[in-house]
Amino acid sequence: MLSINARDIHKTYRSGFMGRKKNHALKGVELSVNKGEIFGLLGTNGAGKTTLLNIFSGQLAADSGFVEVLGHDISKKMPVSLKEELNMCSGIPNFPWSLTVEENLKFYSLLYGICDKDCGDIIQNCIKMFSLEKYRSVRYDQLSSGNKQKLALAKSMINNPKLLFLDEPTIGLDPDIAKKIRELIRKIHGERDITIILTTHYMKEAEELCGRIAFIKDGIIKAVGTRSEIVALTEGHNLEEAFIELAE
Amino acid sequence: MEILFWPIVSLLSIGIMGSFLKLDGDALAFILTGAITAGVVQVAQLDVSYSLLYDIWSKSIKHTFMAPVSQFDYIIGSWIIGVLRGAIVFAMLGVFAMWAFHFRLAGAVPTLIFACGIFLSALVIGMLVCLLIMLYGQRVEVTAWSLSTLLMLVSGIYYPVSFLPKPFALLAAAIPLTHFLEYYRSFYGYTPVFSNSLLTGFTLSAAYVFLLFWLLGFAFEKARKSGMILRLSE
Repeated sequence: MLSINARDIHKTYRSGFMGRKKNHALKGVELSVNKGEIFGLLGTNGAGKTTLLNIFSGQLAADSGFVEVLGHDISKKMPVSLKEELNMCSGIPNFPWSLTVEENLKFYSLLYGICDKDCGDIIQNCIKMFSLEKYRSVRYDQLSSGNKQKLALAKSMINNPKLLFLDEPTIGLDPDIAKKIRELIRKIHGERDITIILTTHYMKEAEELCGRIAFIKDGIIKAVGTRSEIVALTEGHNLEEAFIELAE
Repeated sequence: MEILFWPIVSLLSIGIMGSFLKLDGDALAFILTGAITAGVVQVAQLDVSYSLLYDIWSKSIKHTFMAPVSQFDYIIGSWIIGVLRGAIVFAMLGVFAMWAFHFRLAGAVPTLIFACGIFLSALVIGMLVCLLIMLYGQRVEVTAWSLSTLLMLVSGIYYPVSFLPKPFALLAAAIPLTHFLEYYRSFYGYTPVFSNSLLTGFTLSAAYVFLLFWLLGFAFEKARKSGMILRLSE
């Protein structure tokens, strides 16, 4: 069963006077993501990874093509009911800066319609899962980068999503914090019935976490497969060498 | 406290000016009604406008739009908070005006109807601000503070609309707040410039709310196509 089924996705960003300046970010992307896998999207800066992730998460509309997410066609409109099944965590998280960790989680739980008696338990579980107990009353703008990222992950689990988008979740973090974040991602995947789509620049992260990987370049998917299948497509000996070869 | 500060400062300055000019009871009530209205509209409409602006300032708007919240929930939820805060401001300003300037309300029912009209006007202004921000981005955020002031200027906040130049008086007819002000001031002996004030005010408000929800739906979809929501989150 597929969590994502994308066919011939095109996306062009327009800027400048009357939108005359065009940037063709996606040029006919074809991609399928199976239910329950951690799927990695790799590519150079500006290759189209985040654009593709944003289309799958419904925050951006494709110009043309077919996009099915958890069995819902979102090519034309994003159904509100589907949003209950999705969540996202960005590498550069931003949340209401004057709210504490606990208040932020409460705010987003309300947005996801979790306002029954279980709400408190869900928030406490998220705080515990990401070791944020000491920081529950600390304002967002006073958190370290690592704790901001943990909060972003905690927020992304607030609705127990079936499909989670992680956009460069360890970017700019110290190696020890990045390692902890990776462990948390693995833990989430192990404990829950969840599909994770992850973009990253770190080959180690992709190797550690992802069952399958897609390599995107200039808005086109160049290769899809397991780590070893991707490496076998190139003359490289590891994913990093394969990445460099595919990126050239 | 901050929601009361500016409305009370404004009410005080208008009330003291009215006393200095030796305005009679009805004339003073005319301008005090304007001062109370200005304070309440601003507080209530800002709650609707700020719902979007707070998300933009904290660059967290993409999280809000990722959540299963419809435009109706988003706007009406913020408006309800605006109504609650606006009702507090309305009551406090009314009591303060009665105490300081011997202002008398025009009765419970007309006051309640007038308050409903003010809150609907605030909803329309707040939605218009949200629409402009969704279409043109953060560069038009100034409308959150300026649009209500401009519309109040045209709707005859401290003077009858008949005193406005003709094109502006025509424009005033299209603003629901004009009609609600005329309705309430009729209890102080002022003949409305436009007929059927209440019916016109509520009809215009309902039409604008429906139109703005439709336009907001269009603007959100346009923002999803252009990537505006993501740009506002960067």
